Amino acid sequence: MSTHGAVDTQGGGGNGADAPQARKRTFIAALITAPCVLVLLIFMILPLLWIVRISFYETVQGTTMNPAWVLDQYTRFLGDLWYLRNVVWLSIAVAVISTAATVVLAYPIAIHVSRATGVRRQILQTLILSPLLIGLISLVFGWIVILRSGGLLNSLTMWLGFVDAPVRYLYAMPAVYILLVYLGIPFVVMTLLDNFERIESTLLEAAANAGASDWRIFRSVILPLTLPGLNAGVLVLFALNFSAFAIPLMVGSANTNLIGLVVYKQAMQLGNLPFAAAISIIMVAVSATLLIIYSRLMQRWFLWRLGI
Amino acid sequence: MIPSKRPRVGSVLLKALTYAILFFLFFPIAVTIFVSFNSSGFLLPPEGFTLEWYEKAWGMAEFRRGILVSFLLGAASALVANALAFPVALALVRYNFRGKAALNLFVMSPLLVPTTIVGLALYIFLVRIGLGGRFITLHIGHVMTVIPFAVRILTASLSIFDRSLEEAARNAGAGMLRTFVYITMPILRTGIVASMMICFIISWNDFAISIFLASSNWTPLPIQIYSHIQFQYDAVSAAVVSSVIFLSLVTIIVIDKVAGLRTVMSQKPGR
Repeated sequence: MSTHGAVDTQGGGGNGADAPQARKRTFIAALITAPCVLVLLIFMILPLLWIVRISFYETVQGTTMNPAWVLDQYTRFLGDLWYLRNVVWLSIAVAVISTAATVVLAYPIAIHVSRATGVRRQILQTLILSPLLIGLISLVFGWIVILRSGGLLNSLTMWLGFVDAPVRYLYAMPAVYILLVYLGIPFVVMTLLDNFERIESTLLEAAANAGASDWRIFRSVILPLTLPGLNAGVLVLFALNFSAFAIPLMVGSANTNLIGLVVYKQAMQLGNLPFAAAISIIMVAVSATLLIIYSRLMQRWFLWRLGI
Repeated sequence: MIPSKRPRVGSVLLKALTYAILFFLFFPIAVTIFVSFNSSGFLLPPEGFTLEWYEKAWGMAEFRRGILVSFLLGAASALVANALAFPVALALVRYNFRGKAALNLFVMSPLLVPTTIVGLALYIFLVRIGLGGRFITLHIGHVMTVIPFAVRILTASLSIFDRSLEEAARNAGAGMLRTFVYITMPILRTGIVASMMICFIISWNDFAISIFLASSNWTPLPIQIYSHIQFQYDAVSAAVVSSVIFLSLVTIIVIDKVAGLRTVMSQKPGR
């Protein structure tokens, strides 16, 4: 047992003195963390358990809840091909595509930043991370200015003669994709930077000295070394994109019913709380299943790369 | 860190691509700020600089109320979350006890659950126990959202703390409380300030949790902006949004100076 605690300054602890000390430490730790733990238990864990309970309720006449232990809500969602195709499958497709696009766009930025040094690097890092703290509504607003039918993008493409009439980007799928990718980039760049810092620079120098091209260095050194660490980031981003609701709510339409948005609409617009609860549990289950499958596949792929 | 020796076609392409993506990241923000100062609003070509939209925006009752609500909410959430998180961070850094890893995971739990579900769960629960539609409804939601950030930043600042300073004070005869007030707290001040600011700005900008918990009396600014732009899309809203952006930017710069943005932001808020 490592002894780092405040109580250990005297040092004389053999095994005999250690047990009561350990108990004392656990007691103090429990005492001072109790308020936070209690608050989280009441306002985080209890509400989440309550969601699970409510998902087994009956709904009568549209929205009235009736305490019960039935699977109505689950069978209603899973038994409806429309939900499976236009909600679950759509969410999976959107999450996969947007996550992949984010990773592809984040790599060049991360490589560029990792090559910069000193103040330049500091500034680049701050610039890239700041969208994470600027707030969803502000970023969405900017994109609405660009994407709406009389907006900058349409004005530009029409002026250049690419299109004759305004294209509908906003309140449609393209806007949802753009914003998911846009918000994902800072997050993936950050994950990648953490990983780049662990690559031995001698490996890259060796590759460069041996005459490898940039692309070759990327493919044979950077990519294999950063992929395992990137995986953690990809998993989180996939889960975030899969359950996104604010973005499709703000810039999507009736055709961009991602599963998170369906949860929101059922609860807040249609008032069907048990159904919303059941869908949110299905959402977590699907997302967890996909993440497990993905990890398994990646594991296989690594073993295959290693020739095992 | 990744060396680039001679300029090659690849590097030039990489640079061009990187700047294109950086442009992609900042263009929407720049456009909004530009519109808010442009006297012809959304119309091009720009006609000149004006503060008219800001004057109008800050004069509107709905936005004034939104600013007030968001400000109170941010301040209250930062205070409560840090008061709750500080002992946890202290325990995580200074004590070895059973269940430490579990505690760490537990306090991070609000970040592990999708925002949609946190929002829905809190909405159902708070209405059920009779706490719906009030300031405290939003307050509880925001405290839950920012606790993980507070714990993380406070933990980081406590773990670089030089314990020998405290020991010196104790050896010189100062009591535990005196040591805490005169030695520990002043040294930790920057960390605590950074944590408070991060919590404030996450709460100030929060949309996903607020939209579940807001009521007509208590509508935070982001929700107010959202309902405004659903019906009216004008340069006035650009001015409100720009005000929000400016406040965020100032905070970001201060946090970066005080604590380093990267250490602070290793998790992201929900979408």
